[in-house]
Amino acid sequence: MDKQFNPFSLEGKNIVISGAASGIGRQCAINCSKMGAKLILLDLNEAGLNETLTMVERPEEHFVAALNLTDYDRVPEVIKEGVAKVGRINGLLNCAGISTTLPLNVAKPEVLDKFFHVNVYTAYFLTQAVCKIGNFSKEGGSIVLFSSAAGQLGETCKSIYGMTKGALFSCAKSLACELARKNIRVNSISPGVIVTPINMNLPHIADPEQRKQTEALHLLGLGDPNDIANACIYLLSDASRWVTGTNLVVDGGYATR
Amino acid sequence: MEKFIALFAEALEREDEIRMEDEFRNYEEWGSIAYLSVIAMMDEEYDVQMEEADFKKLRTVQAVYDACTNK
Repeated sequence: MDKQFNPFSLEGKNIVISGAASGIGRQCAINCSKMGAKLILLDLNEAGLNETLTMVERPEEHFVAALNLTDYDRVPEVIKEGVAKVGRINGLLNCAGISTTLPLNVAKPEVLDKFFHVNVYTAYFLTQAVCKIGNFSKEGGSIVLFSSAAGQLGETCKSIYGMTKGALFSCAKSLACELARKNIRVNSISPGVIVTPINMNLPHIADPEQRKQTEALHLLGLGDPNDIANACIYLLSDASRWVTGTNLVVDGGYATR
Repeated sequence: MEKFIALFAEALEREDEIRMEDEFRNYEEWGSIAYLSVIAMMDEEYDVQMEEADFKKLRTVQAVYDACTNK
């Protein structure tokens, strides 16, 4: 066995991760640091970010910033500060996002606005800031947008969440076309239901009866943040250098039926 | 003029120096996406809307600057 052979290595790569204070974003931070990456970690939750920093390898190497990603004017400034500390960016994981289960008859325009801002606009404008001149590596790299199984498949009361995730699925394809000339790959990832500290208390996981139903939809049971973080490592690494404009489904078999 | 150069560089996503006498179509960064970005920049920042045929007549960075500022 060639112990040097590791196409998934992130050594020498600088990765931006939004939503890094908990759940999937935090796990991505931990796993990317274990694979050798330097990180720019972003989240609204400062205490959570600092906790993440205690869990990653080589914490002194990374840049951490607590900010509201919907503060669209502030985002480019923070990215500049991050690049000044860790160097030019090779990858971006747009993990930040929120979920809801809301029937059509009670939805309001303000709710849609909020979900599109937090799930779609923030990913779009963070991607824009990361791609601004002077920020991204001249060698190119990889951007991952977080779609969802609900972005392509239907589920009762998931129309608002699903719309935002469908938007990210589509966005990845056109951005892949636009950024290929800079050798920047853009893909989306579609997780099924992942058990995280945040959604552990939601009815579809917390309630034993509902959890059984949720599990039955996933052939391999519910997912763990590691399942998504490891898929992200593939998309960020040179192992996926010929992969762009696609959607990686990581859902324990949810989408098979 | 400094502001214009910065906006033009951003639209082209060009890190190298930009001089007013440069023929921007010779830049490595010039292409259809750069064209769309420059047209959008002229519209948003200078309220100048230009037909493609008129833009094609512009050769230098100075000419684009003049088009933006001499409405």
